[in-house]
Amino acid sequence: MAENAADDPVVETVQLTKIYQNRHIALNDVTLKLERGCVLGLLGANGAGKTTLLRLIIGLHRPTAGVAKVFGEEMSPNSAELRRRIGYIPTNPRFPKGMTPISYLDYMAKLFGLPRDVRKPRMGMLLRAVDLLGAGGTQIDTFSNGMTARLAVATSLINDPDLLIWDEPTHGLDPEARRSMLDLIKGLSREKTLIVSSHNLNDIDEVCNHAAVLSHGQLIYSGPLHDLKSRMRRNHFEVDVDGDQKAVTRALATIKALGDVQHVSLEHRRLNLRLQEDAVATATLGQVFQVLSEAKLTLIGIRSVGQQTEEAFLDLVEKEEQRGFTRIYRQAA
Amino acid sequence: MASPASTVKLHNRSVAPEPEPTPVAYQAWLPYWAVLEADFLQVFSSWVYRSWILVAATMAIGLFIYRWGLYNEAKIIQPASHVITHLLRGILMGSVALVGVIAAGAIAGERGSLADSILSRGISRYQYYLGKWHGRLLAILLGHVLLGALTVGGTRIILHEDVTLEGGMVAIFISGAALAVVVSLGVMMSAMFARPLAAAAGLWVLLYAAGLIFGAMPHSIPTPEWILQKLPFILKGEYTREMVVQVVLYAGGASIGSAIFGMALFARKDL
Repeated sequence: MAENAADDPVVETVQLTKIYQNRHIALNDVTLKLERGCVLGLLGANGAGKTTLLRLIIGLHRPTAGVAKVFGEEMSPNSAELRRRIGYIPTNPRFPKGMTPISYLDYMAKLFGLPRDVRKPRMGMLLRAVDLLGAGGTQIDTFSNGMTARLAVATSLINDPDLLIWDEPTHGLDPEARRSMLDLIKGLSREKTLIVSSHNLNDIDEVCNHAAVLSHGQLIYSGPLHDLKSRMRRNHFEVDVDGDQKAVTRALATIKALGDVQHVSLEHRRLNLRLQEDAVATATLGQVFQVLSEAKLTLIGIRSVGQQTEEAFLDLVEKEEQRGFTRIYRQAA
Repeated sequence: MASPASTVKLHNRSVAPEPEPTPVAYQAWLPYWAVLEADFLQVFSSWVYRSWILVAATMAIGLFIYRWGLYNEAKIIQPASHVITHLLRGILMGSVALVGVIAAGAIAGERGSLADSILSRGISRYQYYLGKWHGRLLAILLGHVLLGALTVGGTRIILHEDVTLEGGMVAIFISGAALAVVVSLGVMMSAMFARPLAAAAGLWVLLYAAGLIFGAMPHSIPTPEWILQKLPFILKGEYTREMVVQVVLYAGGASIGSAIFGMALFARKDL
């Protein structure tokens, strides 16, 4: 099989649109590019079009308009050779009745066309890696959520894929299994390209370096995760100080008088500081530090309040919805 | 991908480069065989299939006992060809409903995340369809041949012998060809509908419509009714080679035609 050119994006969608039976627009004009080595977090509320996008990329659905390319080639329901290089975990994976992990993995490996001398050693290695060696002969029907998730992971890796597409891999997992899954994604991200869809923004924040945000089938953000975070206006801080109580109270009064400070309160030795919407955080914080220095207070620590990815995501979605009809002008431009 | 230099100098040390991994020699038709094998085993373990075998076997045993009793009590001699014709007719007509359900569940029964798990791997829709179609055909025709062989064998032993072995085999073959058309149409409907029940209903409507159309066709065309009428003669060995070829051509044409239509449709369908 020919390797794709090194500069070809691993996944590229151009004006990808999916309309179900002329009734429901699930995905609208999504143009996205994913370079080699990226770990893309796919964000969006329920029904935003995340799973539809993934199913179009893997070739389970055919686009109504636009194109989905994987490794530089157009994906279709019959692109078996392209799918040999993809490992996929659907949401809530289901398994055929009566199968054991060994028979299931063997079946899946055969579906990739892997010859016996490749698939048998790989099966054993993966069952050991996901800690299912002892349950290799047990019927999958009796498995817990965690075991099922581990088997799904092993299945997605049986063909040693270059691209992994995992649809909500941490869904329904207990904290321990979730932690293992996130660690695994981090490990895999060193050598593979990943697309991870999740409701859990903490998960995306932890393992992804790129993000794509879908809202009502529309791609409203696509790019590095830190860019998404930097879009979030950080105007809420907590400042821990140490020093004389009277000095702290005096400093508090001075800070309250600063023009760009909307609200400041004191709780023990922690200043809760909220800046005006249009304030330049760096400049205002400089003034605050100046006040603290003049009051001879020691700065113990400072941190931005709020989960940045979550706030950035909500902010994006909110802004997109507020734009109303004006969003049409962007498309016309 | 550029091949690495034979030796890489690293901090004044000679380091042998890692060997290139051997490319995997994928077996192009292994996915098809995997689906066929899994489907064949799945059909064998399904309660519908077991019910079909049980119903057909019970029907055969019941008819044997009745005819044997008739001979013992009333000394009425039953020609084996008539008994087998009744049985094959029973298997064909009586169990079409169950065979239809088995065939109609082939693809529709896996719609949803189970099909996702299979069709997201290195298999094309064509191979998947072929694997499913052949898996169901194999399972149902194997059941039919076994039941037919038991019937012909049992009748030859127990009842009055007017059946030739060759005629019996041809009769099983011809009725199997008719059953193959039902299975092929069932798998086609299974690819068209999202739910097995809808696919089975669609198949029954199709068979009913086909029955009406067959009724208006000239007698030269081997319709299922025509085959059943000829069965007693075929069992006695009164058939021509051309007749058998004609039946096989019609049944094969209908099966392959429906499979091509089903495949083309399935290859363009969202899962």
